[in-house]
Amino acid sequence: MNATAIATPSKNALELRNLSFFYGKFQGLRNVSLDIAEHKVTAFIGPSGCGKSTLLRTLNRMYSLYPGQRAEGTINFYGQNILDPQQDINLLRARIGMVFQKPTPFPMSIYDNIAFGVKLYETLSRSDMDDRVEWALSKAALWTEVKDKIHQSGLSLSGGQQQRLCIARSVAVKPSVLLLDEPTSALDPLSTAKIEELIDELKNDYTIAIVTHNMQQAARCSDYTAYMYLGDMVEFGETEQMFFKPMRKETEDYITGRFG
Amino acid sequence: MPDKHLSTQFDSELNGVSARVMELGGLVESQIRQAIYALSQFSLEAVEQVGQMEQRVNAMEVEIDHELASIIGRRQPTARDLRLLLCISKATANLERMGDEANKMARMVKSIIESGAARALPTSDLRVATELASGLLRKALDAFARLDVKAAVAIIKEDDLIDNEFDGFVRKLITYMMEDPRTISSSLDLLFLAKAIERIGDHSKNVAELVIYLVKGKDVRHTALDEIESAVLL
Repeated sequence: MNATAIATPSKNALELRNLSFFYGKFQGLRNVSLDIAEHKVTAFIGPSGCGKSTLLRTLNRMYSLYPGQRAEGTINFYGQNILDPQQDINLLRARIGMVFQKPTPFPMSIYDNIAFGVKLYETLSRSDMDDRVEWALSKAALWTEVKDKIHQSGLSLSGGQQQRLCIARSVAVKPSVLLLDEPTSALDPLSTAKIEELIDELKNDYTIAIVTHNMQQAARCSDYTAYMYLGDMVEFGETEQMFFKPMRKETEDYITGRFG
Repeated sequence: MPDKHLSTQFDSELNGVSARVMELGGLVESQIRQAIYALSQFSLEAVEQVGQMEQRVNAMEVEIDHELASIIGRRQPTARDLRLLLCISKATANLERMGDEANKMARMVKSIIESGAARALPTSDLRVATELASGLLRKALDAFARLDVKAAVAIIKEDDLIDNEFDGFVRKLITYMMEDPRTISSSLDLLFLAKAIERIGDHSKNVAELVIYLVKGKDVRHTALDEIESAVLL
């Protein structure tokens, strides 16, 4: 399948070229090439097992934690190849943050949830750290809800608040890219709406890549959409076009629920 | 890949509303034919029947709109399902307007009959134009049902024929009115009648344009014919 698609004339945060991924002998991604535009939201959709989460996990080398998994090709991130073995993975993950499907707050206070990551990379005075925590929680639209209980456990928050806490934790280290892996699939519609609102605001400062099973969510909050199937990128284009008149019939069948 | 949705209920809703719009089209077509009959036979009874059909057309339009709103609200359709529902909505509006025009024709026929000037006027010319217009509607409905963009382009071209007929007819009416000013009042009725026929042709053309929008995702309204043809070839 022709998987080359160059999205925009604008600046790209990430440029994937001929990216393939292997779980041992099984190939999870086949020659994917696409650009993730700076300060835009790029959504990845497709049925389970199509490789969309795999793709997201290559973008901050999450797979390096697992032996037997390897990626081929290049991912250009502002001039450096993420897949380069010399790449400092900890620094990379500070610049490309990730939020998972289920909220994963640390079993510590709300304040420490945010401060923990910051301390790994920066040495801040007490008051600077206070400012950073407030800033990150404000960015994640959580500050007004938690400012009076900032030293309570992060686990005491509701699911939607916990997820925003995780987004705040990612934002706190000032990354340039945020990877969201089905960030709202465990949340109720109101919390989902808040996160989507948040995504829209965050894209002013960050580049966002989101994997979602909820096609309406991709339609609502992304600028570009990639449809993946069985490790191939079938189609990549502007979200409006993808949901109104996609180029390929396979994409249209999936988007309209004709996939079988 | 299959053309059916995973949800067969969704399929049957889409098929149902598509069938309804075809049914509406058929009803409007017979309404127009009845208006032609009223004109050719100067039949007040036929005039009456056109008016009755008008009420059914209006009621069907409301029902189809209700079904569309319900499907959109519950299914959040995308891509070709979304285009189909948008097109059905617009086609329904066009068909209802055609029904209005047929009703207008019937009212003019009634007015001509009542004035007693019927036999002196060139009504047979109008019958040709009306046959063209109702034939165009039939073709537009066929193109819609078969998603046939080539037929749609042919309809857009054919609408020009009706527009030419209309211009010729207007010139002819002017000569009648100059010859005998007593025919002016009935000639004006006839002019409105001709205009109604011309509008029916335009609405059929609109439906044909919707077929291209539905199949190709390309909006060809207010577009030159050669551009439309190249859009269809893509």
